Amino acid sequence: VVEGLALLDLGVSPYSGAIFHETPLIIYLFHFLIEYAELVFMITDVLTAVALYLAIQDFNKVVFKKQKLLIELDKYAPDVAELIQTPMEMHYIPLKVALFYLLNPYTVMSCVAKSTCAINNSVIAFFILATIKGSAFLSAVFLALATYQSLYPLTLFAPALLYLLQRQFIPIKLKSKSFWFYTMQYASLYLCSLVVLICLSFFLLNSWDFIPAVYGFILSVPDLTPNIGLFWYFFAEMFEHFSLFFVCVFQINVFFYTIPLAIKLKEHPVFFLFVQLAIISIFKSYPTVGDVALYMAFLPVWSHLYRFLRNVFILSCVLIFCSFLFPVLWHLWIYAGSANSNFYYAITLTFNIGQILLISDYFYAFLRREYYLTHGLHLTRQDGTEAMLVLK
Amino acid sequence: FQDQTEQFFRSGHTNNWAVLVCTSRFWFNYRHVANTLSVYRSVKRLGIPDSHIVLMLADDMACNPRNPKPATVFSHKNMELNVYGDDVEVDYRSYEVTVENFLRVLTGRIPPSTPRSKRLLSDDRSNILIYMTGHGGNGFLKFQDSEEITNVELADAFEQMWQKRRYNELLFIIDTCQGASMYERFYSPNIMALASSQVGEDSLSHQPDLGIGVHLMDRYTFYVLEFLEEIHPASQTNMNDLFQVCPKSLCVSTPGHRTDLFQRDPQNVLITDFFGSVRKVEITAETLSLDRDVPGLESKFPEEELATEPLKYAEQLPVAQIIHQKPKPKDWHPPGGFILGLWALIIMVFFKTYGIKHMKHVF
Repeated sequence: VVEGLALLDLGVSPYSGAIFHETPLIIYLFHFLIEYAELVFMITDVLTAVALYLAIQDFNKVVFKKQKLLIELDKYAPDVAELIQTPMEMHYIPLKVALFYLLNPYTVMSCVAKSTCAINNSVIAFFILATIKGSAFLSAVFLALATYQSLYPLTLFAPALLYLLQRQFIPIKLKSKSFWFYTMQYASLYLCSLVVLICLSFFLLNSWDFIPAVYGFILSVPDLTPNIGLFWYFFAEMFEHFSLFFVCVFQINVFFYTIPLAIKLKEHPVFFLFVQLAIISIFKSYPTVGDVALYMAFLPVWSHLYRFLRNVFILSCVLIFCSFLFPVLWHLWIYAGSANSNFYYAITLTFNIGQILLISDYFYAFLRREYYLTHGLHLTRQDGTEAMLVLK
Repeated sequence: FQDQTEQFFRSGHTNNWAVLVCTSRFWFNYRHVANTLSVYRSVKRLGIPDSHIVLMLADDMACNPRNPKPATVFSHKNMELNVYGDDVEVDYRSYEVTVENFLRVLTGRIPPSTPRSKRLLSDDRSNILIYMTGHGGNGFLKFQDSEEITNVELADAFEQMWQKRRYNELLFIIDTCQGASMYERFYSPNIMALASSQVGEDSLSHQPDLGIGVHLMDRYTFYVLEFLEEIHPASQTNMNDLFQVCPKSLCVSTPGHRTDLFQRDPQNVLITDFFGSVRKVEITAETLSLDRDVPGLESKFPEEELATEPLKYAEQLPVAQIIHQKPKPKDWHPPGGFILGLWALIIMVFFKTYGIKHMKHVF
């Protein structure tokens, strides 16, 4: 950002260098705030935490209401009393979420590094807040802002839509007219705000060259500096004529899980949001630990799934060790010269495997709990022996 | 005393150069390489340094796979004299010995990337010895079995050298069949030429060595070398002795020479003028003593001024000033339309979500 502003002062487009790939609104924001950058990032983090706190508070109310409704409708099996969430245990969850975000070492690291990921996180947090509060207009605006910043929150359109539909009590059937009507409304709000934002950015610099520099950069991954993601190593050793194909494959991988998850998790859009956030932060082209911090902040919301999680020990070990090994192997590779990129990429792979394991574990635990809620805790097969639930 | 000094400065040259070329390749032309290396050895022995010798050998005999005595090139049978040794500096080797390169060396038209060892950096006070050997015919000399240089080209090259003032005097020796045809066309001044055979005659080789299996030397060069072995840097032998070197009885061919272009009398030309190296010496009659306090050189700066110059980087700007420096004014400002549009949008969003009723609180 500093380089972009310096280039602007020299009278050149800030995207003419190869470093600056942020949107013009960031230019505008930091034009005035660059001297107070530390304060800005601290305030952003605090805002994110506050937004998450308010969002989860509202979400808890929604969950509780829904639970009450389902109990009264006798949808639950008789012996699942221990699985039902009580207000007592849910009282501290919003505070835990805010604390998880603020005290996460990843958040602290990205704040100290003054990474613009903090701004991304705060926009997404406000989007979540707006969605859970039920305001379609604000949520569309914030989602457009998040998409405008980095392309991947586009996939969060589906969970937000599902949540808003649920809130309006519109049933999700493909033939239903009101479903399509609401979807069109929301989609048009979202697209209009996106278009307005892009045109506004055009007026800032009077040129369209921010589009290839921001979105072309995210999609075509030209810069292969090592990060904690999966793209750089692959594309560093790939032949030129395959790179287009693999770029497409990798990018589709991010957007690919939306529709299957939407079909599976249409009753639980906020969990869908959480899984989608995690998938974005694993498979995006330039992930940072700030993205990891954002979805990890949601883990207390599903602390009631603890009894169904199977890999807690391995996961926590993998994540903690990888976080420590990242700087060690980086130092060995770049400064000491006694390792090579394979070492660092191995840790990247392990870290991402750990994250994927985390999400799949939570996913399985969630589905299992839902199944137990409707079918009772003690599952029996047809012949009466004890049955085990398996994720296929 | 004056005669002696006159004699000292008799010839007009101040430095010596030698260009020694062997133009044939293949193992059975061993003798040509041996010829050139023998002349190289003599010339070095008599004082010309490697930096002033351009040695061009078209093939590598010492490390030739057919050489039963590797790393050696003998010029006498029974392996009496190894002219290869361990301080031979070949400047142009193997396929670099071409007519083009040879002419470029002579005329000085070489690409700027050529190293110094491959250049003939002579000036108008240089005496140059040019020795060529190989297979030749009437008016030409064969290079590398694929091209030849004609006597006309050679004469023109020498004329270029004369016009560019690249030599003071030039001695041209050639040991090939019909070698005299090569110096027939010279027309530049100050050139003396010697050849091993007349037009229509062949130069013959001297001795085969049964251990190595090839002829080791050519006759003419063999006897020239015998003659040169008796020359030392201070000898007064002149060119006329060199002309007598290989009579027909020993050489079978008739050696020839040409001196009409040369301005001095060959009687007065020393062998060491061309084969040896001259060091310019100046004799003075007065003595110079070097004193510590030389009057006339005053220090330009008075002593007091030197100590007060600011020497340290840290002293350049007071620290207090640096801390409170104002940020430099920025040159770029966002356009007014953008700011207006952005804030209008933000206000619109705010009022849309929270209702118009807040307007009255704002205003």
